[in-house]
Amino acid sequence: MSSHSTALLARKSIRARLGRTIAIAIAVMAGVSFVVGSFVLADSLRAVFDDLFAELSEDVDLEVRTAQEFDGDSAREPIEVALADELRAVDGVAIVEPALTRYAQLVDSDGDAVSPQGGPTLGVSWAGDDGLQGVTVKEGEPPQGPGELAIDKATAKRESLAVGDTVTYLTDTGSHQGTISALIGLGSGDSFGGAAIVALDVDTALDRFGAGTKADALDIKIADGADVIAVQRAIEDVLPERAEVITGEQLAEEQADEVNSFVDQFGIGLLVFAFITAFVSAFIINNVFQITIGQRLRELALLRAVGASGKQVRRMITVEALILGIIATLLGIGGGVLVARLLVAGFNAAGAGFPSPDTILAVRTIVMAALVGIGITMLSVVVPARRAARIPPVAAMRPEVGFTALRTRRLVIGTVITALGAVLFVVGLFARPGGTFGLIASAGGGGLLLFIGVASVSSTIASPVTRAIGWPVEKAFKTPGALARQNVARAPRRTSSSAAALMIGVALVSAAAVFASSLRATFVDTLENAVTADYIVTDESFQGLSPIVAETLAAVPELQAVTPVRGIAAQVGGDTKAFGAINADAFEKLVNPDLRSGEIAGLGLNEALIGVDPAADLDLAVGDTFDVTYQNGVSGQLTVAGIYGDATFGNWLIGLDTLESVSEAPARDFFIIGKLADDVDAQRGDVAVEAAMEPFPQANVQTNAEFRKSQEAQINQLLIIISMLLFFAIAIAVLGISITLALGVFERTREIGLLRAVGMSRRQTRRSVRWEAVIVSLFGAVVGVVLGTFLGIVLSLAVPDDVISELAFSPIIVVLILIGAVLAGLIAAVYPSLKASNMDVLQAIATE
Amino acid sequence: MNVTTPPPVAGVAAAGAVDAAKYYGVGDAQVRALDGVTIAFETGKFTAIMGPSGSGKSTLLHCLAGLDTLTSGATYIGDVYLASLSDRELTELRRTDVGFVFQAFNLIPTLTADENIRLPLMLGGETGDVAWIDHVIGAVGLADRLKHRPSELSGGQQQRVAVARALASKPKIIFADEPTGNLDSTTGTEILTFMAEAVREFGQTIVMVTHDPVAAANANRVVFVGDGKIVGEMADPTPDSILDHMKHYGD
Repeated sequence: MSSHSTALLARKSIRARLGRTIAIAIAVMAGVSFVVGSFVLADSLRAVFDDLFAELSEDVDLEVRTAQEFDGDSAREPIEVALADELRAVDGVAIVEPALTRYAQLVDSDGDAVSPQGGPTLGVSWAGDDGLQGVTVKEGEPPQGPGELAIDKATAKRESLAVGDTVTYLTDTGSHQGTISALIGLGSGDSFGGAAIVALDVDTALDRFGAGTKADALDIKIADGADVIAVQRAIEDVLPERAEVITGEQLAEEQADEVNSFVDQFGIGLLVFAFITAFVSAFIINNVFQITIGQRLRELALLRAVGASGKQVRRMITVEALILGIIATLLGIGGGVLVARLLVAGFNAAGAGFPSPDTILAVRTIVMAALVGIGITMLSVVVPARRAARIPPVAAMRPEVGFTALRTRRLVIGTVITALGAVLFVVGLFARPGGTFGLIASAGGGGLLLFIGVASVSSTIASPVTRAIGWPVEKAFKTPGALARQNVARAPRRTSSSAAALMIGVALVSAAAVFASSLRATFVDTLENAVTADYIVTDESFQGLSPIVAETLAAVPELQAVTPVRGIAAQVGGDTKAFGAINADAFEKLVNPDLRSGEIAGLGLNEALIGVDPAADLDLAVGDTFDVTYQNGVSGQLTVAGIYGDATFGNWLIGLDTLESVSEAPARDFFIIGKLADDVDAQRGDVAVEAAMEPFPQANVQTNAEFRKSQEAQINQLLIIISMLLFFAIAIAVLGISITLALGVFERTREIGLLRAVGMSRRQTRRSVRWEAVIVSLFGAVVGVVLGTFLGIVLSLAVPDDVISELAFSPIIVVLILIGAVLAGLIAAVYPSLKASNMDVLQAIATE
Repeated sequence: MNVTTPPPVAGVAAAGAVDAAKYYGVGDAQVRALDGVTIAFETGKFTAIMGPSGSGKSTLLHCLAGLDTLTSGATYIGDVYLASLSDRELTELRRTDVGFVFQAFNLIPTLTADENIRLPLMLGGETGDVAWIDHVIGAVGLADRLKHRPSELSGGQQQRVAVARALASKPKIIFADEPTGNLDSTTGTEILTFMAEAVREFGQTIVMVTHDPVAAANANRVVFVGDGKIVGEMADPTPDSILDHMKHYGD
């Protein structure tokens, strides 16, 4: 048998059916581009951060710092500066420089806080020209003594500040004044990655930042010719307990990893949507191949009649798909690089502030692109190709024989797949066999099977449902409407497969909508019932708020209770837990955590409040004690003072005094909550709180209602982002409907010709095709909403109760989806309806 | 299917059927498309099969060509019983020993005339007898249309390509199913004349189904089919003698 003839036939067929080929290629390309784009973006950003941190610690050969007992989110403990002298005595050590990064806020001449757009406000220690932190002087001389400071040139420009100006700045120890001695930057840049910087000499920094005798770390540069590892060993010998020494490379890696873990999550998020897009493409491709094989029935049968074997026919269809897959993948890789750039531009336009990276196209990316692009094309064609091989040669003369051969036992298989998918999905979410991986594999795989199954089974309900959807169309548009309705209903199988892709997109949007609505409902419920605070102060810089913010707020006479919420990671019974630290007396007035036993107020040193779940797990009652090891290595015992039911603030709470007694790490507040005094009205309170928070631009003050609204807005925003990421998939779905419809018009050439011959106008023809598309997409949307709502409910039920405890359903979103489906149908119909109405009547009738 | 008759004698008949029966449906709804047909087609002869619509003439052709299977009885091509062949062997047979000309939709629309003619050979991975193929192309008068697609050819030209394709692999037998049914009479005559020439000059064997007495008159022999049975035959027919015969049998 000849592969030459198969390749020739496949190539010719691709060229002859160019429109269809392009449509399939676009579907493949979109999926591949998205996958490639996600990888390229993540890889490129990662490279940028790797380089950035490597450059920052370029001069640091070794760093000495305190050790942490286990991985967690706590800040590292500071280390004695006095240790620097011992280190300097070690052979091979050239420079030892204490490094300190704390809070410092510049205040302009009008007394207003200088706020960098989105970035944090930081104070750093700087040893001057010999400094190891990569700081470069742009103008002036390094600051010396308590009267001088340096600021970054970017901020200086924005605020019109120059060397010699006297400025005021706030730190953890209060308000200070100084003269600007230098404008600085990082390396060749004028800014410190968007942060506003106040740099002081080391001694001044230790004093003004309230660090006492301890710095964050001690940076070391070794003598020329010394061996890093040898010096590292030598230093290890002189280190006190709970201290460690790491190389500059390790440090850079650690810092880069921290940022890159966000990049990775972001990349994975994008990838999920990329795979959804690819999955939807596979549906379209499969459908198009399926239909065209029906249309090419006689041609394929003729090939069989003149001597092609079934295998050759199958191979021809497969080679067709392969050529298509390869071309589309190559185009998709190019498109992916473009997508990555567009994504960077898009997120930057939204204020993400990504650096503009070099494009990195890793081998892994190309392999994935080929797997996705060629893979989905080949998978999509397996069934159609096998069916094509079953067409008997006699179908060349009696096509009806061929159509019987193309039929499958779709319903049985579809039902089995649907049931299997639903079971896997539910089992994966609730039973979670094999941990997180099992959850993802089982629930994700189940979801995919569910989509495939429903797409297949939905043909059984396609006729009645589309008849119902089409009823108003028929009433409104008479004969063209009736034709549209009948055309949709008479080929239920085709209708359901055309609608399948849209169904998946809509199902995902609806599932996300149910999930988001439930999340919002639970959140609102919590804020209304559990949180009685009037003000919530959150941190916009992600650095944590300086304790002076909470102190300032606590001093406002209009407020009766204020507590910051801090945190520390600690191990209880071998598991790492997040502990919250609060002012319990205030907390009792601000939060109603559904206390089951014990007391909140009067929480003493080394006492804890714990949630009912861990209390039950560890069999703890009020008065019992348990062992705890904090991340810095300090161990202790905590006595249970109260047990509560509402886990909004976590399951483990201790007093601020307990936190201070075990940790010397600089205190940072996640957020602060406060309550008005009984005799103060809201308006007066607002004015007082606003005024008190004026010097702290990174502290975002919101009333309870404002906070709720902003959180709701965030949830809505999340939903919008998800919908936008599904845009690709939905666009492909629309393309799919358009192709199917165009193929349908082509098949019905004779019929349309006849209708035109007996007096149907071009306009009526267009209208008929247009409403056919609308009915198909509405059908997809209806099935999608039902399926998606089911998925959303299951998903919401699977999430722990302290995140989602009540189900909510948003009818507005359903209405929006249905309106969207009508629009999608109208867009999909543009090309097929024109094709139908422009048909030459005589030729159409003469077509066999 | 039981084959009880001995194999046919090679060389005498190019193809034939022995007690061939084909039933559709069961019980009262049963239709006997073929009802015990025994017939042989001589090598190097042009045979026409005639009969009214539904007489079973097309079914007979499909079964003879191995495109369709019998309910009982046997068909053979050369010295091979078709029922004894696997699907793969049957495919091979169609490619090498059998040529087809259909009423319509004879060509693969995506291939050029030249590629269509060589298609059966290409499917077998062969180049065939190049001189012979060129001779055939010259004989059908298509030398200047070889690079055209079927949609760019007239109905008559398309059918000539189909005949050339059938001849290209020098098959043992060519089956033609109403080859002139879609053509006007002048073009139809052209095709039939060419087919008759192929039989006369190249010694080709052709079996053609038709309902047109004028077309059938190009054959050496006419076989009449009615209700799934052979109801008569005639050698060296003319249109008039065929019409007479048909009147006689009350068609």
